[in-house]
Amino acid sequence: MTETQSPAKAAVNQPGGRSALRHLLQGERPYMLYVAFAIMLIVFSLASPWFLSIDNFLNIGRQTTLVSIIAVGMTFVIISRQIDLSVASTLALSGMSASLAMAFVANNWVVGAVAGLGTGALIGLINGVLTTRLEIPSFLVTLGTLSGARGLALMVTNTKPVIITNEYYFAIFGEGSVLGIPAPILWTLGVTVAGILLLHYSVYGRRVYAAGGNPTAALYSGVHIKQVTTLAFVLTGTLAGLASLILSARSHAARPDVVQGMELDVIASVILGGCSLFGGRGFVLGTLLGSLIIGTLNNGLVLLGVSSSLQLVIKGAIIVAAVAFTRR
Amino acid sequence: MKHSARILFGTLSLAASAFALSTSLSLAQTPDTCVTGVDLATLGPKGIVGQGPHGEKAASPDELKLTDDEAAKVKAGKFKVGISMQTVNLDWSQLQVAGISQTLAKYGVTVTGVASAEYQVDKQIADIENTIQQHPDGIISIPVDFTATAPTYKKVGEAGIKLVFMDSIPVGLSSPKDFASMISADSQGNGQIAATILASCMPKGGTIGLVNFGVDYFSTNERTKGVSEWMKKNRPDIVMKQVDFTDPSKVSQIAGDFLTGNPDVKGLYAVWDQPALDTLSSMRAQGIDIPITTVDLGLQSAIEIAKGGPLKATGSQRPYDQGVAEAMAMMKALIGQPTPAWVGVQSLPVVQSNVLESYKTVFHKDPPAELVDACNGAKPKCN
Repeated sequence: MTETQSPAKAAVNQPGGRSALRHLLQGERPYMLYVAFAIMLIVFSLASPWFLSIDNFLNIGRQTTLVSIIAVGMTFVIISRQIDLSVASTLALSGMSASLAMAFVANNWVVGAVAGLGTGALIGLINGVLTTRLEIPSFLVTLGTLSGARGLALMVTNTKPVIITNEYYFAIFGEGSVLGIPAPILWTLGVTVAGILLLHYSVYGRRVYAAGGNPTAALYSGVHIKQVTTLAFVLTGTLAGLASLILSARSHAARPDVVQGMELDVIASVILGGCSLFGGRGFVLGTLLGSLIIGTLNNGLVLLGVSSSLQLVIKGAIIVAAVAFTRR
Repeated sequence: MKHSARILFGTLSLAASAFALSTSLSLAQTPDTCVTGVDLATLGPKGIVGQGPHGEKAASPDELKLTDDEAAKVKAGKFKVGISMQTVNLDWSQLQVAGISQTLAKYGVTVTGVASAEYQVDKQIADIENTIQQHPDGIISIPVDFTATAPTYKKVGEAGIKLVFMDSIPVGLSSPKDFASMISADSQGNGQIAATILASCMPKGGTIGLVNFGVDYFSTNERTKGVSEWMKKNRPDIVMKQVDFTDPSKVSQIAGDFLTGNPDVKGLYAVWDQPALDTLSSMRAQGIDIPITTVDLGLQSAIEIAKGGPLKATGSQRPYDQGVAEAMAMMKALIGQPTPAWVGVQSLPVVQSNVLESYKTVFHKDPPAELVDACNGAKPKCN
């Protein structure tokens, strides 16, 4: 891990220049993730006649949108050796802000988007500042904002949903499509590409790895760890805000009680995708794959008609097995 | 990074090469009789269909009326009553609490406080224990769970405090020994309303999907039972398929996948309004337009019904009226009068043509502007 080469690059540019196939044959992460995903695709394709179709893959894409988008931000947070438990509550409060702004300021999608993204960014900033300036563990800070943001979301309309009527908002964030690809999936792809560029091909990305990999060395190398970490929280909050726009556009309303517990799905996707909870390691494409693995599992089990209780058991077992299988 | 991407895209390409390129939309062949063929005047049960948790016959809320003498006794008693809810973050809960509080206030009974357990068993146990410490004369409560809370609810009776339940009864408690009354909506009746409307939208031999709550809960079990029993009796030609959810936040995904895996499903019932709305959002995303019916009425579901979209109808509870009945049962118990073990509150059919009036009936206030606007946009079908 150096200032000039990201671990993602290092993973494929190791001494001897081994081919991707050799990495795969030697069972290295992230390569085994692709194998796990491919096995899942094959098994479900054979087991259900409905699984292997464009419509169903678009289903999976749409269903994993919220988790995938927020997980990109969470990848930065976890690589920098922090955690953000507040993302689901941030999403709920951002959605309320967006819908209330359109109801009371101007029924304009830009106003709604700015309010939603701004609320998310603000909560991220609060998380970042409290974690870095007051040196409170991020687990506790974000546990606090998890509760506070959810409480505010419930309080602001006394638990009532806020109805959205803006057709542009629906089209841009929820129901539109380009060349048959639904808007939520386009947003996911856009965020993923931006995340890859930022983490793997920018100075900031290298600093995130440095801050999480070896904070002491990073500090002596002139990396402003507090700024780097705060920005990771702001990014995650902003992406939770974007996810709120997508969810409320799909539902035609913002509700304060949505996606409770989703932070666990987000963290699971990031860890399954190869991030280390101890910081310094991870990559965005792996996170997307982690999210898709969980989404595909959810989708496939319903298509097979597996009972809801058994689904939970199978999901738990497969996620643990996948992590064990790819943990090299 | 580049190698990783190559492998990923290679994997996806392999999968993509095997795609069945079918993008057919599942457009329902909805009969003209859909909803419009249903006579509102005769829709839904005229009495209480279901039975109580222990097979009790339903009593009517009318049986809880106080005579002048009884009312005077209540007013003289200066009674205090505590309320323990599963949550206060729902319209349903707030209407219940309003119905209870306003009715008790009319007779001079004080509400000592409203505790909200947020669906947590341990918190509800603590809430009830704390309420007992306040020495109220009565407690009105909805149990979060049927087994873990039972010993705590037994303590209420042992402390000489009258107990009235809403919606369900914990295991091992019996009336009148441990509690005075349980008041609930006629969930089976509401299920029958949802079934009647859905059946009117289904061609002969069609298939419907039941989006059911997979957790053993009296009122939701009764709703789905109401639907399936009505279908078996009145429309045996209709094929029923069921998908269960245990986590309400996952309904959109589960219902969407269920529709993908069962393209023959041309009508849906969802166990309450929020799962119906989540199913609707999933249907929109997939370009599916089939009729849905449900139970319960909220603002968003009322708007969807008013617009005349896929959400055709709901069998609504009357939470405010249920709250009134709970308060009346409590007052009867406080002055030592016998109370029925189970009181059922009449179901209410809500369709596009009566949605504004129904909203007023359920919420005891005028419909909000959003609902009126949605209805105005669908004149003359919406009233």
